[in-house]
Amino acid sequence: MELLDNLMLGLATAATFQNLMYCFVGVFLGTFIGVLPGVGPLAAVAMLLPVSFYLPPETALVMLAGVYYGAEYGGSVASILLNIPGTPSASVTCLDGYPMAQQGRAGVALFATAMASMAGALFGVVVMILLSPRLAEFALLFQPAEYFSVMVLGLVAASIVSSSGAVRGLMMVCLGILLGTIGVDVNSGETRFTGGIPQLRDGVSLVVVAMGLFGISEVMVSLRGATQSYAGAGLTGSMFPSLSEWRRSAMPALRGSAVGSFFGTLPGTGQTVGSFVSYALEKRINRNRAQFGKGAIEGVVVPEAANNAAAQTAFIPTLTLGIPGSTTMALMLGALMIHGITPGPRLIADHPELFWGLVVSFVFGNIFLLILNIPLIGIWVRLLRVPHHYLYPTVIVLICVGVYSISNSLMDVWATLVFGVIGYVLRLFRFEPAPLLIGFVLGPMMEEFFRRAMLLSRGDPGVFVTRPGSAALLLAALLLLVASLIPWKRWLMRGRDAAELKDGL
Amino acid sequence: MRRLTSHLGPLIMLAAGLFFALGALTSLDLGSFRRMGPGAFPLLVGGLLCLLALIGLMQNLRAPMAVDRADPMAVLGVFGGVAAFAFFTPLTGVLPATAVAVLITGSVIDGFRWSHRIALAVGVSAGVWLIFVQGLGIPFIAIRGL
Repeated sequence: MELLDNLMLGLATAATFQNLMYCFVGVFLGTFIGVLPGVGPLAAVAMLLPVSFYLPPETALVMLAGVYYGAEYGGSVASILLNIPGTPSASVTCLDGYPMAQQGRAGVALFATAMASMAGALFGVVVMILLSPRLAEFALLFQPAEYFSVMVLGLVAASIVSSSGAVRGLMMVCLGILLGTIGVDVNSGETRFTGGIPQLRDGVSLVVVAMGLFGISEVMVSLRGATQSYAGAGLTGSMFPSLSEWRRSAMPALRGSAVGSFFGTLPGTGQTVGSFVSYALEKRINRNRAQFGKGAIEGVVVPEAANNAAAQTAFIPTLTLGIPGSTTMALMLGALMIHGITPGPRLIADHPELFWGLVVSFVFGNIFLLILNIPLIGIWVRLLRVPHHYLYPTVIVLICVGVYSISNSLMDVWATLVFGVIGYVLRLFRFEPAPLLIGFVLGPMMEEFFRRAMLLSRGDPGVFVTRPGSAALLLAALLLLVASLIPWKRWLMRGRDAAELKDGL
Repeated sequence: MRRLTSHLGPLIMLAAGLFFALGALTSLDLGSFRRMGPGAFPLLVGGLLCLLALIGLMQNLRAPMAVDRADPMAVLGVFGGVAAFAFFTPLTGVLPATAVAVLITGSVIDGFRWSHRIALAVGVSAGVWLIFVQGLGIPFIAIRGL
């Protein structure tokens, strides 16, 4: 049994004391920032990037991944108790979670959320185990033209989910790619766009861009509204659902997991879309649908199962194709590249301990998360009552120290500040920074494959549409672009819910 | 006036696209289709960005996208905090710079009491020492002259 051998290898990697410890640190921090509305997993992963340079690659990835999926658990706490989603993908959970809390059943809602999250995540892990090796084998057939096209698909997918429209998303992607060209061109050795600044020869550092765009500019946006605290948050009622609630939740959890797993694998869509679609679907087919929106337990189970399943399956395109399923995934790709590991179809074959170790660590991480979110839930509820003004100055300093620690360079700190200001200005003009970062990470690889494909085709740009694989991928990108013009969100949610949800997205 | 500011967004993008495209055209080798030089890809993407920016500008002329109002105090607080860190680190070491940065960023938040701001500054410095110096063993000069 090859699969069993692989899982044993993964277990051996994941179960070392160091990896278990960093897995716990990751999911703990993930829950922490997931619980707090306003700070996303993206900023947290960006802040941990410099720390991860001091760790072996598999340990670094285990920790960063833990932050990522841990935030999905934490995100629902504020949704249920305060009607404010802690993370965007938890916004659907508000619809039934908050009514449940108002009826004095917050405990049950939180318990159901944790169980559904666990179920969804494990479902996603199984899908990942079964699908990734196949997909990687298939992708080994890819030639440079296909690689280029799959990246185009990933970038288009990442830009159309931008809430200010596909055109603006694509602009940010292009800007990201262009920023990625700064520095020495690997093919010719010529420097590009450095303006004679020697430090720019190695290019702009990913950590600097990520921390500036997401850390600094996010704090600039939220800093001054920071004195409120959510004193009203409280845990009410018993935690344990009744037997009938257990029974009613089983099938919705399964359906949510399946829908979430599917959307997680699509590059660029991820958890938020998964939770939306699964909720909309469940609302059409569930026998208890009349109760939806009024505190139905199915209404929290479905989106939470979906977004956690999607959080796991988002690793499939990231690790098998090198196409990030989301912005946070792009950062993780960046972390891998900094450790000298090229993401792509060869990753599973070349670094089996990394891939399988990560997969097995997901199982451990989810067990940790269940413990953190059921017996220890009281900590997080209390955390919500701490005023936020303690948080933001701390974040700013952690960014400074983190950036400085990479190479003891204050130049990097100043550069981060510059990107922070750029990010802030772009936000004011309603340009979202997420697609920029994905473009920045994928850009250099894209150029490389583009040039290689043109070399192989002897200068014929038709190669991208005459090779069937590449043509299919480009067609998919085009279809996505056209589909983005349809207001599907309104269509799916229809009417009242859509109005309630628009703040969450 | 707000309408005019709204158009600035796509215009900034147009400027960025032009910068890279023209920079590639004028100072980098474009190569041939078969063997592309270092300038070809930036020219292509820069051109695409210009095109998208023009489309965005047209969209904006028809229906201007809202612009958020800037909060100068928040920008100043964050800018000051980071700048203070970068300025004081070589003079005093990382920990005092950390404390100053926390104080400056915290000072623009209204209703945050001074005693609490100072406590936070001390607490965060201690945390940085514990995590980065003790925990991760990063070779910082914690406090200069110590």
